[in-house]
Amino acid sequence: MKPAGGVVLLLLALAGGCARPVRPGDPLAGLTTEERDRFERGRAVFGRVFTPETGLGPLFNSTACGECHEDPAAGGRGDETEVHATADRPDGFCDPLAGEGGPVIQKDVTPALRAALGIDGEPFPKSATARAIRTSPALFGRGLLDAVPDSVLLAYADPDDRNHDGISGRPNRFVDGRIGRFGRKAFVPTLNEFNAGAFVIEIGVTNPAVPTEESIGGAAIPPGVDPVPEPELSQEDLDLADEFVRFLAPPTPVPLTREGRRGRDLFARTGCAACHIPTLRTGASPVRALDHRTFLAYTDLLLHDMGPEMADICLGLATPSEFRTEPLIGLRSANRFLHDGRAKSLPEAIAAHGGEGAAARDRFRNLAPADSAALISFLRSL
Amino acid sequence: MKRPAKSTLAILTLLSLVAAAEPKASPRTIQGTIQAVEVRTGRVDVITGVGMALRLVRVQTTPATQIAARGAAAPLKRLAPGDVVRAVCRVTDEGLVADRIDRTETP
Repeated sequence: MKPAGGVVLLLLALAGGCARPVRPGDPLAGLTTEERDRFERGRAVFGRVFTPETGLGPLFNSTACGECHEDPAAGGRGDETEVHATADRPDGFCDPLAGEGGPVIQKDVTPALRAALGIDGEPFPKSATARAIRTSPALFGRGLLDAVPDSVLLAYADPDDRNHDGISGRPNRFVDGRIGRFGRKAFVPTLNEFNAGAFVIEIGVTNPAVPTEESIGGAAIPPGVDPVPEPELSQEDLDLADEFVRFLAPPTPVPLTREGRRGRDLFARTGCAACHIPTLRTGASPVRALDHRTFLAYTDLLLHDMGPEMADICLGLATPSEFRTEPLIGLRSANRFLHDGRAKSLPEAIAAHGGEGAAARDRFRNLAPADSAALISFLRSL
Repeated sequence: MKRPAKSTLAILTLLSLVAAAEPKASPRTIQGTIQAVEVRTGRVDVITGVGMALRLVRVQTTPATQIAARGAAAPLKRLAPGDVVRAVCRVTDEGLVADRIDRTETP
């Protein structure tokens, strides 16, 4: 049974009114002393700047996790973008181009690789049929999203739109068939895997979960270019960085004004909340702070068709125009919106919604100016 | 019950030592999505990985490789790009050789 959203929202708002507001970058409330200690130690690994001597590269997008996830605090969003590429093949198979260095195409190289091959970034795959730009999202609340059971996602899925509301969300699947939820195409099943993979694809730092470097567009790394032995990050440091991200709390929304409260109602009435489900509930977790918690998520973690204007790459089961409903956690600190940062304002981001989001977009468009301002005011409180 | 003769014990010990000394191919299980199948050569390319760090793994089949789809035996040509498979392989000097490939069904 789906939770009664209004009641839960009210309770969460009341709870938020009693406790000290959670600021961006704060840990979850209720962590044990040991978990809190690991969160702080993890923050140090998250902020660690790697060099070629400590494992950076030879391909990379950034020198530290914290370089791209920094605003307004460690774990937040960044102004960097990166390039993804896949091939939507005629036989219907979406090829992530793993044999050509995909799907993430690194933008930078170490001096040693530059000297060896004369390149400034990974070559763009010849077989790619599409290119995508991705911004660095805020990571607040990702541990809570990770702890939501798959059954919740499946309960919200309606791939054949049997309820005829024009919304037909479906889960993506990873290469091994598991349900995905992380990344703009909901491709990666767990936070742990997303983080371990990110060390390699973003910083070029191998670790026990991913002990091999990225290829250079499918080719082997020239001898002597990456002399640091694998893995370049210890299991302990990988675990600490993972726990830092896992324990990042969703910032407390700012108290709603009368206008903001009207905007919250309009968010539901215009149909935004059909995909941006306001609250989710976690399942059982060994971490008490993540165990059976209801939290403000504003996502269903499912794929939705957003129309041809938004389309870029396929990934897993996701077609080029399908994207995961973006969680709106910590939205107030954003100044660019959508997966590629193309929208410079919230009204612009709403206007870009097509496909399954078109009806809600049109309802927003038809609101009286005071009502659309109220809805934006609500979004700016998150 | 008769006790085994000392010579029998010695032979058994010798046999077990010989068996232990034989190079054994270490098993490895691959779970991922098929990227390509080349029926002529028996080659299957499987996409695996962790998070967004994806890797292409080449698996060689032989006439002895057991292939199953929906629980029933199937020829290699029944496998296609996009299929999710679980391959039990041996690591050999020539690379990964599959003992068994199961096409797994996802809902």
